[in-house]
Amino acid sequence: MTALIETALSVNGERRILDVEPRTTLLDALRGIGLTGTHAGCEHGACGACTVLLDGETVRSCLVLAGQCGGREVTTIEGLGTPDALHPVMESFRRCHGLQCGFCTPGMVLTAVELLDENPSPTEAEVREALSGNICRCTGYAGIVAAVLDASSSVVSE
Amino acid sequence: MIGDRVLRKEDARFLTGRGRYLADHDVPGLCHIALVRSPIAHARVRSVDVTEALLSPGVVGVFTQADLEAGGARPMTHRLSMPGIQPLSWGVLATDTVRFVGEPIVAVVATSRAEAEDACELVEVDYEPLPAMVDPRAALEPGAPLLYPEWGTNVFFTAASPAGQADAAIATAPHVLTERVSHHRIQALPLEGHGAQASVDPQTGGLVVIASNQQPHQLRTVIAETVGLPESSVRVIAPDMGGGFGAKQHFTREECLVALLARITGRPVRWAQDRAEGLTASIHARAQEHEVTCGYDDTGKVLGYKVQIVADLGNPVLYFSGIGPSLVTIGCLAGGYDFGPVSFDLRCVATTTCPVGAYRGFGQPEAHVTSERVLDTIAERLGLDPVEVRHRNFLPDAPRPWMAPSGARMDIGSLGPHFDQLLDEVDYDGWRKRQADARAEGRFVGIGLSTLVQGTAPTQYGVAGRFGSWESASVSVLPDGSVTVFVGTKSQGQAHETVFAQVAADALGVPVDRVTVKDGDTAALPYGMGTWGSRSAVMGGGAVVTASTRLREKMDLIATHMGGNPTFDQIAEEVWWHAHRLPHHLEPGLTSTVVYTPGNTIPVPDAAGKTNFEETYGAHMTCVVVEVDVDTGDVELLDAVLVSDCGRVINPMVVEGQHQGAFVQGLGNVLHEEIRYDDEGQPLTATLIDYTPPLATDVRDLRVLHREKPSENAGGFRGMGEAAIIAAPAAIAGAVADALRPLGVEVWSTRLHPHHLRALLRAAR
Repeated sequence: MTALIETALSVNGERRILDVEPRTTLLDALRGIGLTGTHAGCEHGACGACTVLLDGETVRSCLVLAGQCGGREVTTIEGLGTPDALHPVMESFRRCHGLQCGFCTPGMVLTAVELLDENPSPTEAEVREALSGNICRCTGYAGIVAAVLDASSSVVSE
Repeated sequence: MIGDRVLRKEDARFLTGRGRYLADHDVPGLCHIALVRSPIAHARVRSVDVTEALLSPGVVGVFTQADLEAGGARPMTHRLSMPGIQPLSWGVLATDTVRFVGEPIVAVVATSRAEAEDACELVEVDYEPLPAMVDPRAALEPGAPLLYPEWGTNVFFTAASPAGQADAAIATAPHVLTERVSHHRIQALPLEGHGAQASVDPQTGGLVVIASNQQPHQLRTVIAETVGLPESSVRVIAPDMGGGFGAKQHFTREECLVALLARITGRPVRWAQDRAEGLTASIHARAQEHEVTCGYDDTGKVLGYKVQIVADLGNPVLYFSGIGPSLVTIGCLAGGYDFGPVSFDLRCVATTTCPVGAYRGFGQPEAHVTSERVLDTIAERLGLDPVEVRHRNFLPDAPRPWMAPSGARMDIGSLGPHFDQLLDEVDYDGWRKRQADARAEGRFVGIGLSTLVQGTAPTQYGVAGRFGSWESASVSVLPDGSVTVFVGTKSQGQAHETVFAQVAADALGVPVDRVTVKDGDTAALPYGMGTWGSRSAVMGGGAVVTASTRLREKMDLIATHMGGNPTFDQIAEEVWWHAHRLPHHLEPGLTSTVVYTPGNTIPVPDAAGKTNFEETYGAHMTCVVVEVDVDTGDVELLDAVLVSDCGRVINPMVVEGQHQGAFVQGLGNVLHEEIRYDDEGQPLTATLIDYTPPLATDVRDLRVLHREKPSENAGGFRGMGEAAIIAAPAAIAGAVADALRPLGVEVWSTRLHPHHLRALLRAAR
């Protein structure tokens, strides 16, 4: 049995101590504590479905080892809003039909949040560029791009 | 309600990460399955040694087909009922021979997925390589290595129409065109891979299977047959699904494996496909070669049309395999055109590659690309506008329904005015002028057209000998006036929780938020047919509207009996709580379960030899404008417009989203995606770095206009989920061909990726 690494980190504002194998990805570690909104789409860093915020920046959690996250802050989609209190970006996704099956959606929303944090008034081209690391197979991106542009006018930069 | 842009009920849960997909169903003691898959395309398996693997940490068991058979496994088959098909059945796992890279040989069950994968590394398989056979045309050559020597050929199935009439019409036509059209291999690529989880129900001893599957009831049938249980002892639940697009329409070895291993090990087990398995060892699609021969007159009217098809099935160890889509192709060769006599010749060929099967469009994109390339080429050769040639070939406006010689009952509107609406909307004449201006500047702009008549809500009976054309729904008004709907279709992102709530709410006369829709559970309805073939609005919607209307009629009767103009809630309460006050002849309760069919299909030839596989048809007119960079081969979309008649539109937002998504898939299919193998049958596209679906930067928005002509079926729906993925490849190929025509390039392939276009341009220079 491989020795486990004790990793203390903040997940959605809550201090967690995880015992993980050296090879355990952040993706698997998060899913293992019930945060299943982070999705495994390709597990080789190509699709973006597993995107989370690590110290406020998007990362592919399938390419980050959980053992490297000691002392860091992770925000998953569950930390951003709830069905009764959607984040404004989530509201825009709903309003603009920015999702169908929902599998890419958490990664898309978190990527959009990061973009709008850095650039509160992006152009359409900037939105497309920011989203171009996240694959959506359902929507053809139209609703997603519309949602991010919609959110850019409704989100107050935090 | 129907017709409103109702925001989706599903969204709040999906947006906040509360969706429950296959891999989100952890239970105590859950074990994980990993598979040892063949690393070579064709080989005899001399021996399998699992000794080391059994000792690996966390391993619960290691299983070969012999172990599965000892546990009750029965053979699997393609379950096709057509005459002339080769005999074929297969095990859940391969035994003595493997016939594609990725074919499963050994299953490991362990307490974690990582441990299961570790143990797979320790399984020793001794392979004796056999010749790979990747190219289906080469597989037809005499002396080609055979996948199944007992057949004496690699041809799994053939079908041909009587050739005489089309041949005669072509022979006497003033002009004849003969070309080969190549439709390359792609895949559906749902972002959530396939997978299943199973456990033994301690109460009944039966199985509970959670499967990311578009047809849970039919999967129940197949699992029951393969495992050897009555259907009543198997419950299949299809949870939230991260897309399907046909890739989750089949009933796979892995799903049956999961069910068997739950019984054999007594533990809950899950197999969740990883992306490499998805790309190399699940379902591929299209992969047809057409040789089209067409006779036409000086006006561009087609007089006779003949298509000879070679369909690459891969190793056809898959329910209905690529034969299903191929049969659809031959059924819609002429689409919405009057091509005179049409004939076909179909050869379905086994190769040592991943099984070919379903993908959104299911055989229709292949037929449509070929017919649209033919019409554009006729126009070019006669010096006519492709618009004019289409007008000349559309089905006449009357009678309706148009009864095709085959028996197809085409209940569509008039195509000419529909097409003209598209041309106005896209400013066709204006683009022709801009195209000329661009050419004068040395830029290559092209305009492409797709005039699609799409058969929807098909019957599977013709190929499967069962699974007819109907759908179930159960609608109940509860004592407090809230409404539940169970339906036998299965949403994979198509917003059924919302659109069927709209349908029920509309028929019942209550607000949409009163209605809760559930699907994907065989415990909720006796049987259902699932979601595929653009059928859900037509069949599921038809079932929901029928059941809801019956309830509303009963409530109206009761309201009259009650007197005093009672509210909906008062009627609901009266029926359930004060049943003794109802009229004596009236059954208490407010629940209606229906099995609905429009009844239009003729799945097997009738006395006159006619068949009709579709319950209804939609019509969709598309124009795209592209600019091709002749140095890089890049294709940029300048405009794209679709005028869509899918009958009564339940929710325009959802329909537009479906069209948009399907269009971009179709664009990706021809501009970005291709499944490739080397000559040895090694997959070259095993990651999303190599197989590259379109990104947000690769596309632009499709403009969608609705042109509603309700069908005669319950609710008036026509279905549309596949329309734009059928239209897009044809329209884009047409646009690229139009752009490159001045350079002497002809487009007879769906491979429009930059490197393929550069090769075409080099060849033309």
